[in-house]
Amino acid sequence: MRITVGEGSCGVAAGATEIYSLLEQGIKAFGIDCMLTVTGCIGMCYLEPIVNVTLSDGQLATYVRVSAEAVGEILKLLCNEENNAEQYLIAQQDQENLDAQQRIALQNCGIIDPENIDEYLDAQGYQAIKKCITELTPEQVIDEMQASGLGGRGGAGFPTWFKWQSARGSEGDKKYMICNADEGDPGAFMDRAVIEGDPHQLIEGIMIGAYAIGSDEGIVYVRAEYPLAIVRLELAIIQARERGILGENIFGTDFCFDLAIKAGAGAFVCGEETALIASLEGERGMPRLKPPYPAQKGFLKLPSNINNVETFANVPWIIRNGGSAFAAIGTEDSKGTKVFALTGKIAKGGLAEVPMGTTIREIVYGVGGGIRGGKAFKAVQMGGPSGGCIPAKLIDTMIDYRSLAATGAIMGSGGMVIMDESTCMVDMARFFIEFTCNESCGKCTHCRIGNRRMLEILERICNGEGQDGDIELLSALAEQVKDGSLCGLGQTSPNPVLTTLRYFRNEYEDHIYNKKCTARQCKPLLTYTVIDDLCIGCNLCAKRCPSGAITGELKKPYIIDNEKCIQCGKCAEVCKFAAVAVD
Amino acid sequence: MNEIKLTINGIQATGQQGQTILDIAKEHGIEIPTLCHDDRTEIYGSCGICVVEAEGNPKLLRACSTMAADGMSINTNSDRVIQSRKAALELLLSDHSGDCRPPCAKACPAETDCQGYVGLIANGEYKEALKLIKEKVPFPASIGRVCPHPCEDACRRELVEEPVAIAAMKKFVGDIDLLEEAANTPPIAPATGKRAAVVGGGPGGLTAAYFLRLNGHEVTVYDAMPLMGGMLRYGIPEYRLPKAVLQKEIDAIESLGIKFCNSVRVGADISLKELQDQNDAVIVAVGAWSSISLGCPGEELGGVIGGIEFLRGIDINSKSLAGMNVAVVGGGNTAMDACRTAVRLGAANVYNIYRRTKNEMPAEEIEIRQAEEEGVIFKNLTNPIEVLGKDGTAQAVRLQHMELGEPDASGRRSPVPIQGSEETLAIDMAIMALGQRLNGIGLQELELTRGGTILADEHTFATSVEGVFAVGDATNQGADIAISAIGEGKRAAEMVGLYLKGMKLGHSSEFLSSTEKTAEDFLDRQKQQRVSAHERDAGVRSRDFAEIDLPMPEQEAKNEAFRCLECGCRDYFECKLIDYANRYNVEPDKYRGLVNHNPKKDEHPFIVRDPDKCILCGLCVRVCDEVIGATALGFVDRGFVTSVKPALGADLADAGCIACGLCAQMCPTGALTERQMIAKQVPLAEEYTEGACDKCPIECKMKIAVKGSLKLRALPAKEGGLLCYKGKFGFAGNAGELESLKVPAGIQQSLLEKIAKANGYDGPMPEN
Repeated sequence: MRITVGEGSCGVAAGATEIYSLLEQGIKAFGIDCMLTVTGCIGMCYLEPIVNVTLSDGQLATYVRVSAEAVGEILKLLCNEENNAEQYLIAQQDQENLDAQQRIALQNCGIIDPENIDEYLDAQGYQAIKKCITELTPEQVIDEMQASGLGGRGGAGFPTWFKWQSARGSEGDKKYMICNADEGDPGAFMDRAVIEGDPHQLIEGIMIGAYAIGSDEGIVYVRAEYPLAIVRLELAIIQARERGILGENIFGTDFCFDLAIKAGAGAFVCGEETALIASLEGERGMPRLKPPYPAQKGFLKLPSNINNVETFANVPWIIRNGGSAFAAIGTEDSKGTKVFALTGKIAKGGLAEVPMGTTIREIVYGVGGGIRGGKAFKAVQMGGPSGGCIPAKLIDTMIDYRSLAATGAIMGSGGMVIMDESTCMVDMARFFIEFTCNESCGKCTHCRIGNRRMLEILERICNGEGQDGDIELLSALAEQVKDGSLCGLGQTSPNPVLTTLRYFRNEYEDHIYNKKCTARQCKPLLTYTVIDDLCIGCNLCAKRCPSGAITGELKKPYIIDNEKCIQCGKCAEVCKFAAVAVD
Repeated sequence: MNEIKLTINGIQATGQQGQTILDIAKEHGIEIPTLCHDDRTEIYGSCGICVVEAEGNPKLLRACSTMAADGMSINTNSDRVIQSRKAALELLLSDHSGDCRPPCAKACPAETDCQGYVGLIANGEYKEALKLIKEKVPFPASIGRVCPHPCEDACRRELVEEPVAIAAMKKFVGDIDLLEEAANTPPIAPATGKRAAVVGGGPGGLTAAYFLRLNGHEVTVYDAMPLMGGMLRYGIPEYRLPKAVLQKEIDAIESLGIKFCNSVRVGADISLKELQDQNDAVIVAVGAWSSISLGCPGEELGGVIGGIEFLRGIDINSKSLAGMNVAVVGGGNTAMDACRTAVRLGAANVYNIYRRTKNEMPAEEIEIRQAEEEGVIFKNLTNPIEVLGKDGTAQAVRLQHMELGEPDASGRRSPVPIQGSEETLAIDMAIMALGQRLNGIGLQELELTRGGTILADEHTFATSVEGVFAVGDATNQGADIAISAIGEGKRAAEMVGLYLKGMKLGHSSEFLSSTEKTAEDFLDRQKQQRVSAHERDAGVRSRDFAEIDLPMPEQEAKNEAFRCLECGCRDYFECKLIDYANRYNVEPDKYRGLVNHNPKKDEHPFIVRDPDKCILCGLCVRVCDEVIGATALGFVDRGFVTSVKPALGADLADAGCIACGLCAQMCPTGALTERQMIAKQVPLAEEYTEGACDKCPIECKMKIAVKGSLKLRALPAKEGGLLCYKGKFGFAGNAGELESLKVPAGIQQSLLEKIAKANGYDGPMPEN
């Protein structure tokens, strides 16, 4: 019998650590013969804490949103006592949503114990690297990658085999294999799940890449905000070394490789590969001009290859199953699967790994369970601050590189921020530009000052101070920033502005010319009024109003003084008769 | 080696594999602008100015970093490229604060470089100061006496205590010029073979003639009066501007080879058409020679005269006003001139009649004060409603008493009659000094404005007649101060120059960065009283026409010049940012928003930092690291608030700086400048002479920036060369300051080795 507790960051946040210790105490107290372990995130973050129980007959039961009471029922079940555990079982729909996914990068996440190398080994772990170094030449490995069609999962989708071949072709004895785990997009946590849930798979992927390019040293650049990922990866590296999987003469071959972790200090731009290299070198994290590309002159000016976590996580599967098997999944221009992180106004937030070519509708209304509170889907922001929004009318867009690019958005690393009718698209653009402003390294003119100026224009529009000509100024500036910025951060940062201008121009116009925010998010544009017919004159709103803007006589309709009103919304919130209208 | 062929702007170019587009373009004489690139440092690519387009490539390329490839077709000036550069410059300027030019120079209608000449005077370099003034104004001594000096109104020293006495400075050096045997005048350009006529020998006309002549044209000036000078001669009394001073300056103008034709009234003695036939271009600068009448009954009586007419009569045929009562109506400078002239002519009582109070008077404060000292009786808040006379001669004036009402649209409180309150003043003479208007006789060909002045384009000065230009009091808004006419005269001469070359007349106003300052910004300045003029005693001066002010002693002038706050950017004449900004016609105002302000401390004896002007090109940081190895400067913070600061918050002098000056030399703006080795810092267009360092046996060749006898700074003789602090800042013999520097010995030694190598020196290495 085996019990696993989902202890990814999402599970821990939902209280999984406490559930684990309750189970541990119970198992001990009742002398239950079972193995208790942790596992990573299975993707259903909205159901955490999740406890999986594999009974001796091999039957698996998944309990969700497990509380202390639920632990009691599960313990009763384990003691074969009468219990109510059934009510905590995963709903059939949720199980189906999970089963419908096609999991390659996440194949072991939420299933195996990431802190135990044996569990990874049992799941065909390190078979792929063994095959590479004992049976395949580096060229054959690269050929297999080419056959798979795997593109970089960090966002751009650049063919992985091509990068590897360039690095392999670069002159030099010393080469570096670098893993970019500086996942920084707001609303993106795919890479974190992979490292926390299956660190050995990542290590194996890096090793295969290292063998292919001829590198004996690897570095994983992880953002310091992922402490659990760092701990699990460190542990995995130690275990792999102990088993001789990392180090000298791996599997008795000439192949030597070791891996180190570098914790990034939290600068978003360090996810850009040249800035990442500068940061690794101890320099200020600022992008450098390409060429020279890292394959020619990377870390310490030596040939280096940089891939994203999810890219590496696909590699062992490709070697084990063959490139063509991977290429059979997905669409013509986008092969394999992609992990998406669903956040925002979605009913079932979490991770989903689906074949390329799945539509946005299938993800939002399938795995995602639709919009929270049954509201209408308005748009999805794909690709974080570098991406763009895709409006409801394009919900049947297939998720592949080409189709997404046509909308003005990008695949990005896989963050999908779902928005409903209560999201103001101008405010959304403002949010992302503010993010970019804070994360710009300050090196190039367009990004450093251009984003700031865009933010100022967006702020004044949201504050009801937008002027005639602002839309034109904003869109012209956005194009200039896109055209003139040095690195990907600035070249893509205008995308949220450009796509919202493309699909939601009317909202900008409403803000500027009608001084209205139809989503009712931009406070300075809101007017609160009492609906006389509904107000019973209970005085509650007036009592709660922090600015003394509401006056009236008991049992008669109250009046809101708009001069004094600070648009905090407290009156509408406390009114029991829906007598406060917001416009 | 590996030769590659490409085209740049359609021109065939060749280069080597591994060369950037920028390098190859440069080798073929095609300039691609950049603010952050320098061959001495590694490729960086931050400014975004050097972008170009390559055929078939959807992205803009940074020419500084993109390696040229065989077959490339590059366009360095496409519309997209221009727009991108313009946007980059506008963004940079939206976060760049400083004053390219000082407020004084910007306020001057003739764009006189006030800070420049004041600074030169402070350094005792009078001849250069004079040359600088004469680049804009051909009569410094005269204008220095009469100008109501808008420069001083704009002077920020007012925020400390009082403005710098800029006009007096001009007079000071102007007077030195008068003592010279031959006036200092710029050289005349080779003859163009073109002829121009100037109608009117006042300040505007003579200025136009002066600059036309300097540009090599043949010039004749026609004037209706017997002597040149216009209103400077006939409208300004002797005691303010001695005719001898004016005449000397006019003589100097004439001596350039300008033909003067006096007592010739164009339109009567010779027609405009004839002038056009005899010349390639004509500039009309006839001035406004009639007084505006008040329009009250009795103005036609004998003894009632216009202010202008009164003043003009004084020079030609002065007569005594002994024992007479004289009323002068009006509150402007002409009214004051008339009052004070009447006093000097012996009038028993001189009344000034003005319908508002002294505070509202348009006349200069000093004029009002001096008039009062000289005995003028101010009848403020009175308005003449009738001149009473007997036998056709004025005897009295009826005055309506006034009070100030509510402020009008312009904010000025307008006078309102107090009903029933009047007085009658016995007078023998009434002078109406209410303003001037044009005598448009004889110029019927020219289209007039509704106000009756000559219609001339504000920027090109072109009139309705081809080849005829017009400036000064006779045009558009009518009468203004002399310095405005001078400014217009100079600009019109430039326009005529273009016209004579057959070029299109155009105008683009120069973009200049400006900041707002308040008294808070100058709290650290020590108060120092403005120099006061040496006025002759009122009791004495009011009895003669001799000049009121005595000459200013040299030391006083120098002290006064030192009061200048040095508002204008030291780097203006070398600044790449402002150069590009104007080349690309920037309009950064549309991006107005948050502007970074970092504290500036003058913490280094030789390097002056002004972080508000920094555009983060990083050249200083990189050159200090990559070339010198001192890493005294670095980037601090990220994003919009990124700044360049000395390491670990130290003062630059304590941050490992070896004072090689390379950072300041490479800074494309005024964010880092070298302190000039002169007493008063002053922005100047430098000239260069050769020099050599005598501090060590390497004997580096140097380029010394000079202005007159002032040695401003030293630069390596070779472009891209290096100097150590001893040569760089020690050439002016300031040993004490050099010794105070904490120069890290190791870095200094390695710099000396680099310098020795670059100079091919193989003798023993000098000690630090």
